[in-house]
Amino acid sequence: MIELEDLNMRYAVDGQAVDVLRGIDLAVAAGESVAVIGPSGSGKTTLLLLLAGLEQPRGGSIRLDGVSMAGLDADALADLRRDRVGIIFQAFHLVPSLTALCNVALPLEIAGSPDARERARQMLDRVGLADRARHYPAQLSGGEQQRVAIARALVHAPALVLADEPTGNLDKRTGEKISDILFELHDESNSTLVVATHDARMAARCDRVLQLDEGRLIQQRGDELLN
Amino acid sequence: MSFSIRFAWRDLRASGHTLWVFCVCLMLGVTLVAATGGLYRQIGGALLDDTRALMGGDLEVEARTPLPDDVLAWMRERGTVSLLTEVRTVMGTPDGGIQVVELQSVDEHYPLYGELVLEPGESLETVTSREGGQWGLALDGMIAERLDIQIGDEVAVGSLTMEVRALVRHQPDRSLQANWRGAPALISPEALDASELVGPASRVEYEYRVRTEADAGEWRRRFYAAFPEGEWEVDTFAGRSERIAERLGQVASALLIIGFSTLFIGGLGVYNSIQAYLQGKLSTIATLRALGLRNGMLAAVYLLQVGILALGASLAGALAGFGIALAGAIVAAEEMHFDTAAAGMLPALFVAVAFGLLTAFTFAMPAIGRALSIDPAALFRMIDGSATATPKRWWAATAAGCVLIVLLVVLVLPDPLFGLGFIAVAGGLLALLEGIVRGLRRLARALDDHPALRSRFALRLAVANMQRPGSPLRTTLLSLGSALTLLVACAIVVGGLVRAINETIPGEAPALVLYDISDDQLDDVVNALHTASDAARVDTAPLVLGRLRAVNGEPLRGSGDERHEREARDEHKLTYRANNIDNVTLERGLWWTGEDASGIARVAMEDREADQLGLRVGDRLTFAIADGELDAELTGVYRQKGMQTSFWFEAIFSDGALDPFIYRYVGAAYMSDATALTAQKAIAGMAPNVVTVRTEAILQTARGLLGQAVAGLAVIALVSLGVSLLVLTGVMATSRTRQVYDATILHSLGTRLRAIGHSLHLEYALLALITSLFAIVMGSAIAVPLLAWRLKLPVEAPLLLGVMVALSVSGLCLYLGARYLLRRLRLNPAMLLRSGG
Repeated sequence: MIELEDLNMRYAVDGQAVDVLRGIDLAVAAGESVAVIGPSGSGKTTLLLLLAGLEQPRGGSIRLDGVSMAGLDADALADLRRDRVGIIFQAFHLVPSLTALCNVALPLEIAGSPDARERARQMLDRVGLADRARHYPAQLSGGEQQRVAIARALVHAPALVLADEPTGNLDKRTGEKISDILFELHDESNSTLVVATHDARMAARCDRVLQLDEGRLIQQRGDELLN
Repeated sequence: MSFSIRFAWRDLRASGHTLWVFCVCLMLGVTLVAATGGLYRQIGGALLDDTRALMGGDLEVEARTPLPDDVLAWMRERGTVSLLTEVRTVMGTPDGGIQVVELQSVDEHYPLYGELVLEPGESLETVTSREGGQWGLALDGMIAERLDIQIGDEVAVGSLTMEVRALVRHQPDRSLQANWRGAPALISPEALDASELVGPASRVEYEYRVRTEADAGEWRRRFYAAFPEGEWEVDTFAGRSERIAERLGQVASALLIIGFSTLFIGGLGVYNSIQAYLQGKLSTIATLRALGLRNGMLAAVYLLQVGILALGASLAGALAGFGIALAGAIVAAEEMHFDTAAAGMLPALFVAVAFGLLTAFTFAMPAIGRALSIDPAALFRMIDGSATATPKRWWAATAAGCVLIVLLVVLVLPDPLFGLGFIAVAGGLLALLEGIVRGLRRLARALDDHPALRSRFALRLAVANMQRPGSPLRTTLLSLGSALTLLVACAIVVGGLVRAINETIPGEAPALVLYDISDDQLDDVVNALHTASDAARVDTAPLVLGRLRAVNGEPLRGSGDERHEREARDEHKLTYRANNIDNVTLERGLWWTGEDASGIARVAMEDREADQLGLRVGDRLTFAIADGELDAELTGVYRQKGMQTSFWFEAIFSDGALDPFIYRYVGAAYMSDATALTAQKAIAGMAPNVVTVRTEAILQTARGLLGQAVAGLAVIALVSLGVSLLVLTGVMATSRTRQVYDATILHSLGTRLRAIGHSLHLEYALLALITSLFAIVMGSAIAVPLLAWRLKLPVEAPLLLGVMVALSVSGLCLYLGARYLLRRLRLNPAMLLRSGG
């Protein structure tokens, strides 16, 4: 599903070049779940941005579902996200002017799906928010907002789900609930899941745990994290 | 596309209410453009569509004496000819008052175009015939209502007492100046003869109207060719149309420019408003992009939102403008006697809506482009800190919008020269404004560490705020400064006019002006004036009509120069200086003193006439007067004083030069208005052919007209001011968050709330002062030349009025702004009071 080859990324910070990712090689199979862990600034978010096609690498290649992202223009990358990628943000980023239902329906409506509302309603039901469909984000709790965000990320059955600290803004109990929902839906959908997280429990639930350290990727075992 | 529309609409419904400043700014600007454009269309259409009826024919040959038979025969062979004989005179009203009227007698062909409507509906011939030994008269309906004259009342005209037998309800060729110069009264040609008003001293106009299938211009050319020596002036309906259109176009252009200025100032409100709106949408935009919405679709969403709002606001503005234009047209229709047709205004409304849409898109595009430049990566990081900048292609689209607006302005304004002038002045003003803003910021930077400010923290903070990024200085100057400039210019012009009407003219102009006194009546008229008031100053001067024939021996006629040809046929009023009866001032050259050894007469000419012909002091001028000629040397060029001028003489000769040609005089009497009224009645009784006009009567009409004009200008200026205040509101709303943040930081560092408030007040006081100075300078630069050169009025006192208006309005507006901002600051006491200040 994901093939990274000699991936490099560098930012200029105060005029100085900082290598965030260095020579990353990675292959993730379809349906697999992968946690990316590491301290702040280690490059987790950058890796997700590159996988989403929201930033361009300095070197190396990325292939998603057999499609090379090199050479795709902005519109083609947008189409790629629309059709194959779902993103869950730490800060939810729901559209405040839309109801929960409309937020979930967004990816389908962008793709022109005729039954967008119906599928969105089903997905809201799946995350336990059927009765909050007509509520606006401001009327929902943090946990509920993140459940709406998960529903939005998965409603169009993307091949790849990227989650950036999905429980980072939530308390422990809510975070666990969100984590349950995310993994349940992932198991049902057979999508590939990449989660950037500081949460060891969440990371341990993934098939694989990858640690980023000074821009390099180190493979770890999930059960080791909990010890 | 359907997703874009659905999303745009849903998003707008949920959060579009924050764009009310956008809507109101646009609506008010479009209202002004639609109102002025609609009114122009209405009046222009009504007047220009039927200039033939307004002029009374396809052509008009104007003569001071009846045309010779051979000329008339030539004309009748080439069309239907109708004669209207007109004499300006005074009419004695039933209540013993005096009213200036245009006495008109017509023949059986009248009117050649349109229809004369009388009440009761009898024929003009029947109404004006002699019955029971008394001649009948049809009086203009408007003047009859004003003077409360009924059918059956008797009025005195010349030596006759006539019966008002009908009121004129519609006269197709009623003069547009009838309410000002004298309303028409129709009598029969026989009654005119019997009135004894037609004599050597009276100024009778014989207007021969011609209806012809031939091209009017060609007809005139052949007429001039057939009678090359004739002194008659021939006017065509096309020429009249052009002059009306030109004058209307100038007035409409000036008003439309105010409308456009307001709309473009409103554009700043559009920009600020949409920028604040999209600032709150950055997260949504980034999210939509992260979800895979293409940039084009995303742009379409926000352009659609702008389009929906702009269309709604523009339609509402056009509707409001339509209402105002219709109300104005109804008032104008009553004054000028034309029918209103609302459909004629539709093109103007469409244009106003087009301007609204174009302005909205042009001003919104930089903000949309900037918001869309948000990197979705910001969603993973900190959205507030993410940098946005308007991409080049959005600036290019904005530039294209500006070009379209400029083109449309030039195309839409009735007078394209006004349009080009407006664009040039607007461009110059923007450059000037930018220079001023930069200068002020540089000054503020220089003062930042000035010793004088070191111990004055609040003032230092206020001065520093002038040059900080996001300072409202530029927007305030552009919006409030522009509107205030308009307000100051209006205040100075209106103040000047009010002062002229209430003080200058009554103080300097004669109370009674007399025309057409024959030489044998002169002594009696002067005696009557002195009988009314012993102390009255009475000036009399001859009035001789003549034409300029040659300059330095070169005949004007036949010169091939169209301007010279026209001038050669133009009849001039000639006189002596006679105690400077016409209040003129010498501009160039000298008045003569004593006799000239060469014996040649000397003459001074009015500047407009002299400049039209390019005359220079020392030129030898030859005038044709009656059947003779008079040579004179041009020694000076004078300027009329303006509204205080009574007669508008075109040439003033050295004493004695005109003596052989004098058989008519004019006079000016300086006395109280009550005495003038007594004298007027006495003169009407003894010399009914003498036209007497009381200055106070004219001033009363002028006050009425000025009142209407002031009301109209006040509405326009207030709408403009309202828009600029909205723009400022938008600016304050945009900068409020940052100011609250700054204030919080300052407060947490130990600055007392009072000091923060004090600094804010000082900042706005400085802004008010700078804006006022800007408006005073710019407003005076517009108003003073207008007053001095166009209206010829003194300007000293109104300047003070302009200063007071600028200081008080800008001070009030910005004080309210500062209060508003301070109130908002207090809304967050937990944050501000935590440090116990």
